[in-house]
Amino acid sequence: MRTRLILLTALILAVAPFGAPLALAATSTSSITVSGGPTSSSDATPIKIDGEIYLPANSPAPAVLLAHGFGGSKDSVTEEAKALQARGFVVLAWSARGFGNSTGSISMNSPDREVVDVAKLIDYLGNRKEVIQDKKNDPRVGITGRSYGGAISLLAGARDQRIDAIAADITWNNLEGALFPQSALGIAEPGPFKRVWTGTFFSIGSLGMRSATTTPTPQTLLCGRFAPEWCAAYQMSVAQNAPSPAITTLMKAVSPTTYAQDIVAPTLLMQGEADSLFPLTESTRTAKSIRDAHPATPLAMIWHSGGHDGGQDESKRLQGQVANWFDIYLAKKAHSFPTFQLTQSAAAISSQDSAPEARVQIGTSLPLATTSVALAITSKSKVLLAPAGAAPSAVSALPGFGSALSLAGGLGAFLPGQSAFFESAPLTAQLPIIGASSVKVRVASTTGDATLFFSLIVKSESGRTTQPNGLVAPVRLLGIPANGIDIDVELPAIVTNATPGDRIALAVSTTDLGYAMPQDGRVYSITPLSPLFVSTMTLKNAPSNTPLYLWPLIAVGAFGLSLLWVFIRRPRHPAMKEPQSDAPLVSVRALNKQYDDGYKAVTDLSFTVEHGQVVGLLGPNGAGKTTTLRMLMGLIFPTSGEIEISGVPVFPGSRALSGLGSFVEGPGFLPHLTGSENLDLYWRSTGRSDDPEIADALEISGLGTAVNKKVRTYSQGMRQRLAIAQAMLGKPELLVLDEPTNGLDPTQIKAMRSILKNYAESGRTVIVSSHLLSEVEQTCSHVVVMHRGLLIASGTIDEILNRNGKRAQHLEEIFMDLVGEDTEIGI
Amino acid sequence: MSYQAAHTLPFRVELIRQVRRKRTLIAYLFIVALPLIVAGAVKFGPSSDGGGDEFGGGGLDLIGLATHSAANFTATMFYFATGFVLITVVAIFCGDTVASEASWSTLRYLLASPVPRARLLRQKLFVGLTLSGGAVLLLPIASYIIGGITFGFGGLQTPLGATFSQGVGIQRIAIMTAFLALSLLFCAGLAFLMSVTTDAPLGAVGAAVGIVIISNILNAISALGSLRNWLPTHYAYAWLDALATEIDWSAMVRGASYSLIAFALCVGAATAKFARKDITS
Repeated sequence: MRTRLILLTALILAVAPFGAPLALAATSTSSITVSGGPTSSSDATPIKIDGEIYLPANSPAPAVLLAHGFGGSKDSVTEEAKALQARGFVVLAWSARGFGNSTGSISMNSPDREVVDVAKLIDYLGNRKEVIQDKKNDPRVGITGRSYGGAISLLAGARDQRIDAIAADITWNNLEGALFPQSALGIAEPGPFKRVWTGTFFSIGSLGMRSATTTPTPQTLLCGRFAPEWCAAYQMSVAQNAPSPAITTLMKAVSPTTYAQDIVAPTLLMQGEADSLFPLTESTRTAKSIRDAHPATPLAMIWHSGGHDGGQDESKRLQGQVANWFDIYLAKKAHSFPTFQLTQSAAAISSQDSAPEARVQIGTSLPLATTSVALAITSKSKVLLAPAGAAPSAVSALPGFGSALSLAGGLGAFLPGQSAFFESAPLTAQLPIIGASSVKVRVASTTGDATLFFSLIVKSESGRTTQPNGLVAPVRLLGIPANGIDIDVELPAIVTNATPGDRIALAVSTTDLGYAMPQDGRVYSITPLSPLFVSTMTLKNAPSNTPLYLWPLIAVGAFGLSLLWVFIRRPRHPAMKEPQSDAPLVSVRALNKQYDDGYKAVTDLSFTVEHGQVVGLLGPNGAGKTTTLRMLMGLIFPTSGEIEISGVPVFPGSRALSGLGSFVEGPGFLPHLTGSENLDLYWRSTGRSDDPEIADALEISGLGTAVNKKVRTYSQGMRQRLAIAQAMLGKPELLVLDEPTNGLDPTQIKAMRSILKNYAESGRTVIVSSHLLSEVEQTCSHVVVMHRGLLIASGTIDEILNRNGKRAQHLEEIFMDLVGEDTEIGI
Repeated sequence: MSYQAAHTLPFRVELIRQVRRKRTLIAYLFIVALPLIVAGAVKFGPSSDGGGDEFGGGGLDLIGLATHSAANFTATMFYFATGFVLITVVAIFCGDTVASEASWSTLRYLLASPVPRARLLRQKLFVGLTLSGGAVLLLPIASYIIGGITFGFGGLQTPLGATFSQGVGIQRIAIMTAFLALSLLFCAGLAFLMSVTTDAPLGAVGAAVGIVIISNILNAISALGSLRNWLPTHYAYAWLDALATEIDWSAMVRGASYSLIAFALCVGAATAKFARKDITS
């Protein structure tokens, strides 16, 4: 107990120095206001930026600028800010102009508004002593954000060379390309208008951001906090279902595609697989621009299972990855960072609820040039209808619903008559589909123009179709000749795993609820001209945090510990000795037994038993007879004292016990086996190879043919006799019998008496405990009398009867003399 | 002297003593009955017209795929049996073994004969584990045969959409079986410790099953978050990873290791306890 206390104290003292700095570390957070860029092109007054600065425990430290998503403010990134602060960075979160408490209007990350705001924030960090300064007014700083915040990260990173690292998530490369997607390669015409997503986007910036204090005017109702030029351009585009020249110019100015070649800071690009607004290809396009312009710039990419459509939340893992990225390039700490990570959303089955579960896989190269596998399409040309008014319309992915609708059995994704599948033959090998696949098709239209939605689907052997994340590649074609136009279609970039037996199919739909559609009815004919070029990559599972061999090692350690414990806790036995011929057969010396509850069953007991004796162990109930016999059998540990048989000490498993046959406190047999099977199996368990003399034993039992019946059917007397027979198996030197005549009838008792006498006459020894004094008197040569755990008398029957100098007629007289009146004899 | 400690309570003898018991037969019958009943219910149940239709989630999950092939049926049987049936059977074989000797009063005669205490535990544990292993093997073999006769011996279709050939399917089932056998060692060790602690066989089995079920219930409480990763039964269903195209071994390795650690500690505790115990039964 004492040593444990000392150990514990030592442990606490040893650990305390590591715990103390953590406990005392002080981080702090405070609100700040920084003057930003000009209010507008006509008004040079700087806007007021509302920021929040998070200081880590130890400074100076590198800083991270943390931008928020569209519709958010500095308060919506608190969790990310605290995570980075905990990792040791100074974090500056701010509300972008037009959001939260910052003044100004939304210009969609314009290079001479929002980007200038960021430069002012870097100036501010250049004056903070808590931030590491590389040069005067050049703080060590990284920038990160999601969506709208991701775009400002890339745009500011391209513009401001003071930024030392970038991490951008789910953002656009080309805003016009994202809102008017055109998936037919080499066609200059903008694609169909992604009206539902765009409307959702715009309404967040207008309706949702309306000030509650000022009276709404038509202008504020229409435009909210949008800058007037953006508002006007938006209204125009929606009315026309096509980008106006004004909005094309505006969107070009806020698209990383225009500036990405200027990025030299290490850049981490993250994109969501569940994103129909800014699909995976946005990240590859940005990566390509950076790589082509500056091949040495460190680049890494993560495709995760989230995105604007929802998907699965991986924000905790992504926060960790972003912090690692900044650790490497700002804090100059070493981390292993895979060049490419992606999440296979159904790569395993959850052991919690058996639902499909995501796994992270890693690759050593970016998915910029993927391998393509050509799969021949077995079906020919198909004719499709686009109904007038575009109703009913297919539903692939919608804001707020994600691809939930298409996952639920593909109900709304493909409408009959309005969609077609061009299938491959069943796959013979597994095929991971990663990135944008492509195909060449001929499109003919009755109206000379076409709006079509292509996608890649996986059809399993059971006929189930999966359109990964409900992603589609829209195509809008004008001026189609009568015999059709041949186009190369870049299919949506997806991440999925096709397995043997699956068919990969090109799916074509004529309608989609998420897009602006032509309102007149028309009929298309689609003819595949090439095989499906399926994009694939070889990746491996990300290694787990703990190495695979660690746990088995611990398990081996547990076995070692367990063995050690058993060894330390083993009972100490006296040294084994060879049997001595001159030693008494049984020698009991100063034997004591005190049970855990304090009850003393045997006190200072000593006696010896010689060869050829029949010893009666006498005493009233509770005298300690059975406890003594159990100690003699090695079942109970004496508190002190020793027992020897032929000079060999007795303890559990001592070979001294192999010469002892016993019957104590009733018989014990396997009830489901017969009497003879019990004796046979018992003998084979004893580890003795001499002759058991089973025939003799069975005769003693007197069971006759009943030995072949199950013990379950025996009477108490039959079991008793079988147990005594078992004790006599192999004719042991010492036979210990506890109340052997219980349950026997007078004839059987008489027979038992002669059996015991005969047994002793062959030079063997019998110890009988009994409370039947007359029985003992008739059978025994010697007597040991016990009372309340103490030895009262021992010797031959004659010695005992001649005690106190007078000859007693019966043992009973002596016994009553010795024991007194404070007992009752018998059961 | 003719006595040799190494010859006491031989494996064969202990095996005969246990195998001849009715509960052994009943446990094995139970294992065979489970796939029989499920297969019969699916094949001839009122909602089916006898054509091996889907049941459960209808092709979207493991249970819904049960009727696809023998391999799928076997995986589904694993899913049904992991939580309770196998736990109970293993707890019976390993938990009842010492306690029942105490209750029959045979324990004292074995120990006095003398079978050394550590050897008695070792032999009993070996036999208990052999019988448990037999049950864990019997389940997939019986399920595969019954499933094959009822639904055909096809490949293994996973809930993730992958289809494995018959050969790979059998390989995957072998992996699952091996993991299940290892992960049940936790229950075996726990039941064995209980068996040494109490003289009541039912108490030992019940306590072991009870603790495993409590661990399962705690594991189902999502509010406990990552604390659940430390529950010994947290990885009980990690064999589901063997259904992925590329097997991720980490959960299975961790789960099996947990089970081995718990087994080592329980058996160590049982041995240390039994070595010093006064046998009063």
